[in-house]
Amino acid sequence: MEIVQVLAYGILLGGVYALLASGVTLIFGVLDVVNVAQGAFLVFAALFTWQIWDAFGIEPLLLIPVMGALMGLLGWGIYRGMVRRVAPQGPGMTVLLMFGVALTLEGILNLVFGNKFKSVTPPYFTESFTFGELVLPLPQLISGILGMLILGGIYAYLRLSWAGRALRASAQNREGAALVGISSVKASSFAFAIGAATAGVGGVLLSIMYPIYPATQYDWIARLLGIVVLGGFGSIPGAVIGSLILGMTEAFANTYLPQWSSIFFYGTILLILLFRPNGLMGARTREDVA
Amino acid sequence: MSDVVLTMTDVEAGYGGGLVLQGMSLELERGTITCIVGPNGAGKSTVLRVISGLLKPTSGTVALGDRQIGGLAPDVILKAGIAQVSQNRALFDSMSVHENVLMGGYLIRRDRQLLHQRLDMVANLIPITKERAHHKAGNLSGGQRRMVEIGRALMLDPSLILMDEPSLGLDPKSVAKVAELIREVASTGRTVLLVEQNVRLGMNLATHGVVMEQGQVRLTGDAADIADNPEVASMYLGKVGG
Amino acid sequence: MIANLRKPRVFVPVILLALLALVPIVVQDSKYYQSVLIVCFLFAIMASGWNLISGLAGYVSLGHSVYLGIGMYTGAILGKAWGVDPMFLIPLGAITAAFVALIIGIIVLRTRSHSFVIITIAVLLAFQLLAANLKKLTGGSDGIIVQQPSWAVELGTAPYYYIFFGLLVLTILLAAFVMSSRLGAGLVAIRNDEGKAASIGINTTVYKVTAYVLSAIPFGAAGALYGQYLGFVNPLGAFAILTSVYLVLAALIGGRGTLWGPVLGGFIVAIANEFATTTSGGVSARVLIMGIILILTVMFLPAGLLPSINATIAKRRARSATVKFIDQESIATSHSDADTSLIAARVQHRDDGGDTVLEVRDVVKTFGGVAAVDGVSLALQRGSITGLIGPNGSGKTTLFNCMTGTIRPTSGQVRLTGKDITKEKVWTRAHDGLGRTFQITRLFKSMTVLDNLVAPLERTSARQMVAGRYSGDEVDRARDVLAFMGLQEFERQNAAALSFGQQKLVELAQVLMLRPSVILLDEPASGINPTLIEKLATVIRRLNEAGTTVLIVEHNIPLVLNLCDHIHVLAEGKILTSGTPEEIRNDPMVIEAYLGPDHMLEAPGV
Repeated sequence: MEIVQVLAYGILLGGVYALLASGVTLIFGVLDVVNVAQGAFLVFAALFTWQIWDAFGIEPLLLIPVMGALMGLLGWGIYRGMVRRVAPQGPGMTVLLMFGVALTLEGILNLVFGNKFKSVTPPYFTESFTFGELVLPLPQLISGILGMLILGGIYAYLRLSWAGRALRASAQNREGAALVGISSVKASSFAFAIGAATAGVGGVLLSIMYPIYPATQYDWIARLLGIVVLGGFGSIPGAVIGSLILGMTEAFANTYLPQWSSIFFYGTILLILLFRPNGLMGARTREDVA
Repeated sequence: MSDVVLTMTDVEAGYGGGLVLQGMSLELERGTITCIVGPNGAGKSTVLRVISGLLKPTSGTVALGDRQIGGLAPDVILKAGIAQVSQNRALFDSMSVHENVLMGGYLIRRDRQLLHQRLDMVANLIPITKERAHHKAGNLSGGQRRMVEIGRALMLDPSLILMDEPSLGLDPKSVAKVAELIREVASTGRTVLLVEQNVRLGMNLATHGVVMEQGQVRLTGDAADIADNPEVASMYLGKVGG
Repeated sequence: MIANLRKPRVFVPVILLALLALVPIVVQDSKYYQSVLIVCFLFAIMASGWNLISGLAGYVSLGHSVYLGIGMYTGAILGKAWGVDPMFLIPLGAITAAFVALIIGIIVLRTRSHSFVIITIAVLLAFQLLAANLKKLTGGSDGIIVQQPSWAVELGTAPYYYIFFGLLVLTILLAAFVMSSRLGAGLVAIRNDEGKAASIGINTTVYKVTAYVLSAIPFGAAGALYGQYLGFVNPLGAFAILTSVYLVLAALIGGRGTLWGPVLGGFIVAIANEFATTTSGGVSARVLIMGIILILTVMFLPAGLLPSINATIAKRRARSATVKFIDQESIATSHSDADTSLIAARVQHRDDGGDTVLEVRDVVKTFGGVAAVDGVSLALQRGSITGLIGPNGSGKTTLFNCMTGTIRPTSGQVRLTGKDITKEKVWTRAHDGLGRTFQITRLFKSMTVLDNLVAPLERTSARQMVAGRYSGDEVDRARDVLAFMGLQEFERQNAAALSFGQQKLVELAQVLMLRPSVILLDEPASGINPTLIEKLATVIRRLNEAGTTVLIVEHNIPLVLNLCDHIHVLAEGKILTSGTPEEIRNDPMVIEAYLGPDHMLEAPGV
C-alpha cells in the first residue's frame, strides 16, 4: 500500500532528523543557546564526507566515527573560544554569534567546494530493500536505522553515565551543579561537542541521502529549528516527535507535491504554534510562566 | 585545646568595581557553629562566596588549616573539604532524591565503595533521603528540600559546611528540624558557618556569632553574648513592639 | 528630549543628514556617490526598523529582510497589474508588509519562548519558496522586470535619492517617536523582564506585535521603491539571507537600542560592502567576510560603536566607586505626610455593593494528580489586612499564584471586586486592580527608579501607547509615591544599584502606581533585616489606613500576628482555621500543626 510506504519512509527520515535535532536540544538544555549553526555543521560534515569518498573511495558510513569526532572537536573549540565569552551577554547575542559561525562556515565551504551540488553515491546508492510490499531505498533505510540507533545510544549515555548525569544536572540547575563540583565550563563544552558531533554523524547519513551544497544549510537549520520549536525546547522526546512529524510531512509532500514540502512543514509549525504556543510538549520556560 | 579550621585575614573582595568586603578577618574553630549576621549589603553572603571559591579576593588570605585556598577554583575548594548549601533552590528537580544525593558524590564517583559508604552515612543522618529516595526532588516541600541539600553537601565528608540563610522560605517547624540537623552535623566534628537574616534564630542555633557591617567585622563573640548585646539589639533588632 | 535640538548629540547627526540632502545638487556628476548613498540609506532604514523589535524589545529577528522582499514584490506585481510606477505604491508596500508582520506576530509573539528567532528565518525561506513557485503571480524564479519611470533619462537617480532620503528621515522620526513614547518604555521593560512587565499591566502581546508590525513598515515602504530602483525583482534577490545579515550587522555595529546607532551602522556596512565589491567581488567571499565580521563584532564590540563611545566618555567622568551602603537610618525614620489619597484604589466599589474585594471560591489546583490546593474558599474584606500562613507544602504559594494569575486553577473561581478573573491574563488583572510584589524583587534593571515607577499601566490603549513616557501626571504621582515611602532621594538611581531591601520598597511603590484595590504581598519580609521589616510594616499600615486591602503571604509569624486583622491558616491544601491574631495565636490546632512546640522562632523588630 502506498500509504504504508510513505509512512515508513517518513519514519526513516524522522530517525535521521531526530538525531540532528537532539544535538540542538542538548545544547539548548545545558547552555540555553539556540545553535543556529547546526545546519552549517551538518553541511560541513556532509561535504567533507563527499570529499573523502570522492578522493579515496572509502565507504562513507565508515566515516561516521571520524566525522563525529571531528565535529565534536570543532564544537568544543567553538564553545571554548567563542560561545563562552559571549554567552553572559544573553541569548540574543549568542544566537547572533552562532549565525556568524554558520555564515563563516558556509563561506569557507563555498570557497572550497564551489556552489555545485555534490552527491555521495556509494555502490548501494540505487539499491532498495524489499519487505513484503514495502520497497525502501537502501540509503534511506540504513541512514534511518543508524540514526535512531545512535540517538538511542546517546540517550542511554545521558541517563546512565556520570558524564550524562553531569550534563542533565547542568541543564536542570546550574548552581546546584556548581555546588557539587561539576565544572559548568566542562559541562557546556561537552554538551556543545556532543551537539556538534550529532551534526557530524548526521552529515554522513545525509550525504548518502541527498545532494548537498553549501547554501542548503539554511534549509536544514530551518527544519531542525522547526523540529525543536515543535518539540518544545530542551526535550529530547519532544524532538523525536517533532522529527517524526517532519519526516511524515516531507515523505507525503515528496510523493504528492514535491515543491511544497518545506512550505508544508513551515505551515504545520505555524499552525501548531497557533494552538500551542509553547510547542507540542508544552512550556519549558526557565522562569515563572507569568 | 581547640584547633582553627578556617582563617580569613584582611580579605578584600567585590564585584566589578565596588569593594564589598573591606578588610574582613575571621577565625573558625572546629566543631563550632558560627553565624554571621548584619544588615543588607554588609557582605555576609560575599564572605561565603569568597570561601567557597565563587569569588576571588583581591587581597588578603583565606586558609583552611594551613593550606591557602584564597582564589582557588570552586571544585578544588570542594575537594579540600568545604561544601556549601545555597540560599536558592539548588536541587535537580527532575531527578530523584537518591540521584540528587548521589550527585553530591560527583567528585568521588570513581570510588564506588566510598560512594556507597557515604550514601549510607547520609541516609542514617537524614532519614528522608532514604524514605523518599525515589521521589522527584521537585515535589518535596521546602523543608524537605533543605534536608536533601544538606545530605548532598555531606557526601564529600566536608570539614566545613557553609550555609546561606538556611531558614529562608521555611515555616517554623521546618526551621526547627533543619536547626536540629545542623547541630547534629556539628556534633560529628564538622564546622558550620552560616549566614542568617534572623538574628535571634541565628544566635539561638550557633555557638559563636559574628556581626558584620559595611564589609567588616564589628563584633565577635559567643552567640549568647551577641544576642544580648544591646548595641546589636538596637542596630538590627529594631524597635520592639508596634 | 529628542526635540531638544540644542544638545550636540541631536544636532550633529541632524546637520550631517541635512548635508547629505544637498549632495545631488552640490556635487558635480554625483551619480556614483548617489548610488552608494542610496544603499547607505536603505541599510540605515532597515537597521532602524529592525531596531524597534530587536534592539528595544530584545526579540532578535534574523529574517527581517523578508519584509523588504514583500515590499518589492508588492510594488512590482501591483505596478505591473495597474500600470503604475511602483514608487507610487510605497504606502501599499508598507501596508502589505505590516499585514504579514501582523499575522506572523500574532502567531509567534504570544509566548516568550525562543521560537521567534527561528520562525523569522523560516518565514524568510518560506517566502523565497513561495515567490519561486507561484509562477503566475510572481514570475517564478525568473522574476519580474520593472520599468523605469519616464523621467529617468533626464533626472537620473536624483529622485530615487531624495525619496530614499525622505524614507530614512521618516524612519528615524518613527524610531524617535517610539523610543520616547510609552510603547518604547514598555518594550524596554519587556526586554528587561517580560513576566514582571505583564504583572504591572503591560499587555506584552500587544506591545510586541505592535513593535513587530512597526518594524516591518519601513522595510515594506523601502522595498517598493527599491524594486523599481533595481529594475528587477526575483526570489533570491528579494528574499536574501545576506540582506538580513547586513542589516543585523549594521544595527549591531552602530549600537542596538539607540536612535542613531543603526543609522551609523547602516552607513558603515553599506560603504564596507561597496568597498568589498569594488576590490574583490564574489558572493561567496562576502558571506565569509560578513560571517567573520559578525563574529568579531559580537565578541569584541557587542554594544556597538555609539554606546561604547558614550560609555568611555562616561567612565572618564565617573568618580571611583566603592559600593555605596544604604543609609539604613534615613529610610527607617523618614516619613512623609504625602496625601494618602494618591494611593487610594481606583476600583473601590463592587457592582453589587458588596464589601468583598478579593474572593476565591472552591479553588482546586492539581499537579499530576496531587492536589496542592484542595478546595479553598476565602474572601478579603475591603480595608482589611489579611494574612495567609501555613507550613511548606500547605498550598499557600500555589493559592497565591492562582490569585495573581501565575497559574490557572484546575477548578474554582477567583473574583476581584465582584468580577470573575479566573481566566484573565496577568496584565488584565493588573488593570482590574490587582497588584502584587515578588518574593525576590523584579525591577527593571536597566532603568532608573523613576522610570520603573512610571512603567505600570492601568489599561491598554492606543492613545496611551503613543503618549510620551512622562506625559501625564505619572511623574508627579510617582514622586508623591516615592515620598510616601521615603525613597525620594533614589529617584535617579539605577534600579540595579539598590540593595535588596530598597528594591523591595521600590517594588511596592511601583505597584502602588496602579492604584490597586488589593495588593498581594509575596513574603515581603524575607531576606531583609528587622529594621526594614518594621519600615515595611509601617508602610503597609499607612496604606491600609488609606483604604487599600492587603493580603500577605508570610513565614514570619510574629509579623503576621502583629500586622493583620484577619488570618487564614492553610494546611495540606485546605484551610485549617481562620480568625483574628489572638484566636490564631492561641489555637492549639494551629500551634500543633504549624508553629511547632518550639516557640523560640520569633522574628525581632515588629
